[in-house]
Amino acid sequence: MIIDIAKNILRFFFFILLQVTIIRHLDLGIYFNPFLYVGAILMLPFRMDKTLVLLIAFTTGLIIDMFYNTMGMNAAACSLMAFFRPSILRFYSPAGEYNADANATIGSMGIRWMVSYAGTLILLHHTVLFYLEMLSFHNFFTTLLKVVLSGLATLILILITQSIFFRNAS
Amino acid sequence: MSGIIAFIRKFYFSVLFIFLEIISLVFVFSNNYYHEAGYFNSSNKIAGTIYNAYSGFTSYFSLKAVNHQLAEENARLLNSASEIKDTASHKKIAKTNPFGQQYNFILAEVIDNSTNLPNNYLTLNQGTEQGIGEGMGVISPAGIVGIVVKVSAHYSVVMSLLHKKASMSAMFKKSGTFGTLAWGDKMDYRFASLTQIPMSEKVKIGDTIVTSGYSTVFPKGIMVGQVENLKPIPELYFYVVQVKLSTDFKNLRYVYVVSDLKKIEKENLEEDAVNSLNEKVK
Repeated sequence: MIIDIAKNILRFFFFILLQVTIIRHLDLGIYFNPFLYVGAILMLPFRMDKTLVLLIAFTTGLIIDMFYNTMGMNAAACSLMAFFRPSILRFYSPAGEYNADANATIGSMGIRWMVSYAGTLILLHHTVLFYLEMLSFHNFFTTLLKVVLSGLATLILILITQSIFFRNAS
Repeated sequence: MSGIIAFIRKFYFSVLFIFLEIISLVFVFSNNYYHEAGYFNSSNKIAGTIYNAYSGFTSYFSLKAVNHQLAEENARLLNSASEIKDTASHKKIAKTNPFGQQYNFILAEVIDNSTNLPNNYLTLNQGTEQGIGEGMGVISPAGIVGIVVKVSAHYSVVMSLLHKKASMSAMFKKSGTFGTLAWGDKMDYRFASLTQIPMSEKVKIGDTIVTSGYSTVFPKGIMVGQVENLKPIPELYFYVVQVKLSTDFKNLRYVYVVSDLKKIEKENLEEDAVNSLNEKVK
């Protein structure tokens, strides 16, 4: 139990550090701004209390905002993501129930499940974040393109990170 | 009252979610004001320390470009220094009065920087202890960079020129015709656009644009860039001039924060005047 909590906390530190140092400076042009750190929220245990998940997501968003000087934008996006997480989990639930020891990794749930679950929530997160960043629908389609391309980059980075560092995480 | 409690109990998750969203949005919109104090920005100790450590590690990769910039600046300064010496020996104006210096340049290192977001910021490793304050201009060896928006004791956050809200006054070096410089919609880190240039101005590709000095943020004549192309807007009788920025925003390492000594003097004077007026009224 305590080991599980420690693992989750360490995972958050790992994802946030990776985001604000390496990912932030990848510099792939204006259309690719991956936000790998949402992986830490996606990988929280299925059985964790949804209120706790919401509060953790909000706090994580605030920490990222602090580093990006985008006060409140990531917090808003993360809260929305955490709010819809239970419904998305239910929507993509496999026949029957989630196993007690299952977790949101490729190893545990398979690549197809992981892509649809992570993809949906990433899309929600990025939509809120990028439109808030522009603060207008003025360049609606440019921003939409950004949402899709950056979301794709985020998804791929999360899958890569998982297959390297969290092969059998709990 | 009991109805409200029952409602909250039933929908506490949604209520909490809406509450958090409202807090976030209040943060988003209140942060748009210039002088917003607060610790949730990269000038705080945690972010500053992490950025500092990371940039200490990555700085080696940009050494060559940075050295080149500094060497170029050195050459330029040597030239202007010799010019000043010449005029001084001829006209005997070597004795500058103690208040003659208007600007103080504070050296700072860029520990974090971005160029590919709609609103870019830089984090510098110097803060109020070195005399940096909000609203001061920041320049690089090659040209203008941005404006200080948040300061802590040891770090400061700079709103880059590559920011949707950044705008400043700039002019043609030759004629002195000035307009408003902003980043524009294209979000390309190499260009900015200069608007409100009257069509009577004879603009040529390659003309030099410098700061106008009309605000107290930047001294007059700091390099901005060169005219890349221009687009006339006949109905407003204006040109929109695309400016190729002289600052290489991707390779920023050392910058100077410009503190206007006379600005402080002027502000103190105004404060004194207001105070003495208030006393007289009493």
